[in-house]
Order: sequence, then C-alpha cells, then structure tokens
Amino acid sequence: MPELLEVHDVVAGYGNGPAILDGTSIKVRGGQIQCIIGPNGAGKSTLLKTICGNLPIRSGEVLLGGERIVGLQPHEILRKGICFVPQERALFPRMSVRENLRMGGYILNDRAELERRIDDVLERFPILRERAHQLASTMSGGQQQMLTMARTMIVRPRIVMLDEPSLGLAPKIVDQVYDIIKLLRDEGITILLIEQNALMGLKNADWGVVLDLGKTLFEGPAKEILADERIQELYLGRRSKAA
Amino acid sequence: MTNAIQVLILGVMLGGVYALMASGLTLIFGVMRIVNLAHPIMIIWGAFVAYWLFKLYGIDPLVSMPIAAAFMFLVGIVLYKLVYAREAASAKYSEMTVLLTFAVALVMDGAVSTAFSNTQRVTSPPYATDAFIFGPIFIPTAQLYAGIVSIILVGGLFAFLQFTRTGYAIRATTQNRTAAQLLGVNVAFISLLTFAIGSALAGASGALVSFVFSFFPAKHWEWIAVLMSLVVLGGMGKLVGTIVGAFVLSIIAAFVGTYAGATWSTITFFLALFLILLIRPQGLFGDPIEGT
Repeated sequence: MPELLEVHDVVAGYGNGPAILDGTSIKVRGGQIQCIIGPNGAGKSTLLKTICGNLPIRSGEVLLGGERIVGLQPHEILRKGICFVPQERALFPRMSVRENLRMGGYILNDRAELERRIDDVLERFPILRERAHQLASTMSGGQQQMLTMARTMIVRPRIVMLDEPSLGLAPKIVDQVYDIIKLLRDEGITILLIEQNALMGLKNADWGVVLDLGKTLFEGPAKEILADERIQELYLGRRSKAA
Repeated sequence: MTNAIQVLILGVMLGGVYALMASGLTLIFGVMRIVNLAHPIMIIWGAFVAYWLFKLYGIDPLVSMPIAAAFMFLVGIVLYKLVYAREAASAKYSEMTVLLTFAVALVMDGAVSTAFSNTQRVTSPPYATDAFIFGPIFIPTAQLYAGIVSIILVGGLFAFLQFTRTGYAIRATTQNRTAAQLLGVNVAFISLLTFAIGSALAGASGALVSFVFSFFPAKHWEWIAVLMSLVVLGGMGKLVGTIVGAFVLSIIAAFVGTYAGATWSTITFFLALFLILLIRPQGLFGDPIEGT
C-alpha cells in the first residue's frame, strides 16, 4: 500500500547550478501534519517547490497515491490535489477577501459550485465572512494568513504544503495559525509543512522529518523527535539559543 | 460660466479619449512590468489603419475601429513573441524593456514614415466638422462621439477585468505573479493576452484619434510624455488611477488652453509629470514606493 505522497531519490536544483536536492526521499502519510525541519540551506523549500512542479526535477520519482506526477505542469499538479502556500504572502492585496477566495478556485470550471464552496469556507471563518468585501491588504498579518489557509480549502486538496506559515507573525497569532492548520487536518487534508523554528513546528505536528544537505537524516513521531537528545542538540538547541 | 461649462465638457470628452489611449499602456505595465514606449506609435498605426480604410473604401473610422483593434491585437502578439517573451526571465526585465520598447518605437515609426511620409493627416468623416449646439454651448460632434465611444470601451475593459475569469487572472497576475501561478493561472499566456489586449486598445484609440487630432508618424514622441504623465499620476499600472488621471489632466489642460492660450495647454501634462515625481512619486492610487 503506497503512502499518500512518496518522493524517491529526487535530484533538483536551480538553473544550471549544483543540485540542492541530491537523492532526497520522503514519505508523507495521509491524514497527518508532517513537519520537515533542518538548518538553513537544507533544501526544505526546494523540496516543496519540486513536489508542486515549480522547479523541474532532474531525476527521481514523485508519486501521489501511487500515481506518477513528475513532469506535470504546476496547475495539473494542483488539479491532482497538491496545493502549495509559499513563504512570502500569497494573497492578492487589492482584491477583496471574497475575490481572493474566488482566485483560490481558479481551476474550477463550475462557477456555481465555486460560489457554494466559498460560502462553505466563509461559514467556517466568521472573521473572513465579516470582512468578505474588505481588501486583503487592509487586514492584519494573522488574518491574511488565515485567508491564505482558508483559500487552500476551496479546491479541496489532498495535501497542503506550507512553507514557514509562522514566519513574521506574533506568538499569539502563530498559535491561531496552527489551530487553523489542525482544522485543515481534521477536515481530512494532509499537511506537509516546513519550519525554521523547529520546536514550534514539531510541537504542532504528528510526524517529523529531519532534512540536512538534501538527505533525510531521521524521521518518526514528532514527540519522539522532540525528545531525542541528539536531535535536540543538533537542530533544536541551536535554534532555542538563537531565540 | 457658460464658457466654463463648455470647457469642462470638452475636457471630459478629451479625457475619455486620453483614458482609452493610456489604458493599454497601464494594463501592459501592470501585468508585465513593461514600460511600453512603443504604445503611442501603436496608436498611430491604428490611426493609419482607420485612415486608409476611410480613404480607400470610405469606411467610417467608428466602423473600422474594431478592424484597427484586431489588426493591432495581431501586431501585439507578433511583437510579444518576437521581442518581449524571450527576455521575460531576465532579472532586469523592466529596465530592459525601456530600451527594447524604445527600439521598437523607432522601428515602427520608421516603417510608417517611410511608407506614408511624415505629412499631417486627418480622417474626415461627415461629422468631423459638425457640432451640437445647446443654446450657448457648443460641442464638436467628432469629440463627442470619440469621447462617448472611449468611455464605453474603458467601461467595457473595466467590466471585463472585474467580472470575467480571464479578467480575474489578469488582475491576479498584476498583483502577485507567483501566487497567481500557484493557483493555476498560466501567467505566460496571460502576459501574451494582456499585451495583445493593450495593443488592441492602442489600435482602437488610434481610429478615434484619426479624426479627433491630426496625426503623423513622429507625433508619437509627443504622446509618450502625455500618456506617461497620465499613467504616473494615477499610479503606474493602476487602471482606475490612469482613468482618473486622464480626466483630471484633460480638464485642467482644457481650462489652461482656454484661459492661458493653447500653447500652454500641453505644458499642463509635462508640469504635472514633473510635480508628481517630486511630490508623490507613487501617484494618486499607487502603493508607497519601497527601497527595493
């Protein structure tokens, strides 16, 4: 039985540059929040960009539910059910909340269905419903991140990949963002996220993967990784000293 | 007072034409970050299409306007594929396009100057010399028609951007290219389409210009500064801003022209460009300029 998403020996890099990922393999189990941690330059963002088709793959395999998705265009991969939220703000600042949600369902052809789904999502996020006609740029950072997350629900993806969802947000807001991430998981959406703040990521995840120099060093239940002394010293200690 | 109302009406009509002339320029900048210095010569090309269709077949420029637009739509596609698409990945794309579009403007100017010479021309449909007279108020029919058609076209463009799926994709690409791509927008195709639509708008406004102003190939150099002042006043790439800018500056120019003399009216645009860049470089509707 294949896992929901499997990455086998992937080699990828930017332009003609060196390979950032050099034989990376990971497996993503369905229904979980899986967090990838690792130092700067470990290839975390590159891995997500490669999976969603934004960065061409040089060799290796990516399988979604056992089906090969290597070589597909980003919008085709989105249609297959993988939604990527990049690190920088991913909203359209001069579009209203509702218009942003509408863009979230750009690949849907049935407009009536799209409007129904938008109403569903707004039902779940009363703050967004109140502000449905407000421009995205006029909302707070936390609300903008909430809108970004809510927007992914429109296409009802199988996997949502998040690149540092807590970046630049106040600690209290970060907790709210993770509450939304857990809500997505409880809706049956699998979450693959990466965090520079490893402690934060693992605390909220079900499964953890340690990635360094493009290789998976270790993986296991997030709680076990948090408790592992070796990993604490190498990847968590350094971070907590800096913080 | 009557005189002021008359000047205001003329300013509004001309503002509509300027808004249409500048709308393609601002659209192309908004989506592709191309400062299209060749936009005014594209308008001249559109004017020539309408001029020759009138001269040879007697087709009214208001009727030939869609033909001029369609012709420039195709020219836009060819130009984009030949010139702009190949540099799209360059980091200095915006800066490079200033030089590229300047070169394109020279080539397009040279082509029509050689083919048709640099003499002044004007299309003269029957209504070109008519006027509507309401008591003391006098409105030249040509300007009225051109103004109304322009306002309808700009309104149509606005509705297209606001309500259609493709319009959403164009706006999304303008505001956040990466995010648009991640949500499934084919940004390469949207860029091509937007460039072609912008070129078609130049063609359509050219047909109107052909009977509102007299034109000749080298006239586009003057229009670059006028159109840039409208776009900069509104905030680069902001369509609403450009439309507001077009009306505000045309009305001011109409008053200046009437009360200070026609030679001063063009200065309005240059002075406005100068003052905006000094006082509020992001324009009326632009986002604050960051140090990036």
